Amino acid sequence: MVAVPSRVQSDPRSDLVEIDRVSIAFPRSRGRGTVVAVQDVSVSIRRGEKFVILGPSGCGKSTLLTAIGGFIPVTSGEIRVHGKPVKAPTMNRVLVFQDFGQLLPWRTVLGNIEWAVARRWPRYSSAECKARSMQYVELVGLGPQAEQYPNTLSGGQKQRCAIARAFAVEPEILLMDEPFGALDAINRERMQFELNRVWAAESERVTIAFVTHDVNEAVHLGHRVMVMSRGPGRLRALVDNPSVGRPPHDGAALKLVDELRELLKDPS
Amino acid sequence: MTSIDIPEAPSRRSALLGQLLGAGALKKAIVLVLLCVAWEATVRLLHVNKLLFPPLSDVAVRLARGLGLGAGASGELWGYIWETLSVILQSFAISIVIAIVVTGLAVSNRWMREVLSVMTGIFQPLPSIALLPMAILWFGFSRDSLVFVVVMAMTWPIASSLTVGFATISPTLLRLGRNYELGRFSMMTQILLPAALPMMISGLRVGWGFGWRTVVAAELVFGATGSGGGIGWYINNSRLFMNISDGFAGILLVIIVGLLTESLFRLIQYFTTHKWGTESF
Repeated sequence: MVAVPSRVQSDPRSDLVEIDRVSIAFPRSRGRGTVVAVQDVSVSIRRGEKFVILGPSGCGKSTLLTAIGGFIPVTSGEIRVHGKPVKAPTMNRVLVFQDFGQLLPWRTVLGNIEWAVARRWPRYSSAECKARSMQYVELVGLGPQAEQYPNTLSGGQKQRCAIARAFAVEPEILLMDEPFGALDAINRERMQFELNRVWAAESERVTIAFVTHDVNEAVHLGHRVMVMSRGPGRLRALVDNPSVGRPPHDGAALKLVDELRELLKDPS
Repeated sequence: MTSIDIPEAPSRRSALLGQLLGAGALKKAIVLVLLCVAWEATVRLLHVNKLLFPPLSDVAVRLARGLGLGAGASGELWGYIWETLSVILQSFAISIVIAIVVTGLAVSNRWMREVLSVMTGIFQPLPSIALLPMAILWFGFSRDSLVFVVVMAMTWPIASSLTVGFATISPTLLRLGRNYELGRFSMMTQILLPAALPMMISGLRVGWGFGWRTVVAAELVFGATGSGGGIGWYINNSRLFMNISDGFAGILLVIIVGLLTESLFRLIQYFTTHKWGTESF
């Protein structure tokens, strides 16, 4: 592995999320016993980085992300943000789903974002709320669709809107659960590029934890890539990625893609 | 030679009309006119006894006079139809309250969910008009009996679609609500209610349809309710006095009011769930 974007690595206090020996188990749907989705994972997510959790389906990566959000409890170990254990979901950690149905169907594109902004800053006047929301609608290029209802949007546009809504409330951490998983290949690449652009436009201050099973996506988006293995979900490797944001055909990026593919393939 | 219908992009206004009337409104209107002509022609050409089956024109005249149009008009139909509507509106309100309470219990408690499911299962195949004899026994020949029967017809379909509406809300939206730190009340008003609205509307629509049929049927069986009777009573009376045209006029009015309320529900759908693309029929 190549050595790394430095500015963050040296300072231990830059750790925003600490995942400390976390295991997560569910009761089996039938019969007794439990299914262990995540087992004994320890890793830290640094402030301001894009952190990708990569793994085959069923490796517990989404479970881990949901637990960081505070939506489900951990069975053992602890997840800390700012050194404080995560207990419940908050607007500081906004989750973006793969499901296109994450927009409120009864609100327009702008209305969805306004709703979130008004939840975040209840004291905003409606004009302030609207101005801020419109700024994010424009940021993701949905200006012409601002007054449309979600059912009239394409899948890619819906995900754009969801991303705009998430960025608009300025969370500390953006938790993205395969947000582009249901898009076609062309749209997916475009959205990856867009996410990098929006993140940069927001002066790179939002920390992103991004779950995917797509190796190319991981290399394009992540400063660091955490590889998980299946059954039960364990931390397999943690890889620094100097080629983040480079075009997919870039040599170094391709090499990393191959390495990650090998890591995913062979069961240890 | 064949002709192909090329659908034109509907304008906004005709989209609204289409929603109100259903698809193919023009064709339907033509069929309707043909039916009217056939009725009139059959009766006149075959010299059917007018006392048993009057021509449409007679019925139309009676209907117009009953509604207070034209010379010597009585306008008596308004009173009857209002009587019927007031019974069904009262029952509708009661049913909605009961349905909300039952749904609330069913959503929060697994046992209540089973109770509701069993009750709906039991009362679905039973035309609630069959309860009328018992209702008369319990409440006498009063308006209460009518209301009871109609409430029984409306409550269960409304409650069951409300429950389905709440039970099928996407978990993603619930998570979204938790993510944005909604309390119980905001979760209800900002997520649950609007998300369940499509099923709510279709439940109310089905419930109203059941209720409308039941109230007219109950009045037919029932006769006068204290001071005045409803439209069903009017139809039955017209038989007693051999005013068959009046009876047909009453029947037409029942149909017309039924269609108008149906349009009202469609209108509500058009401005809410149809616009959001979450419509359910």
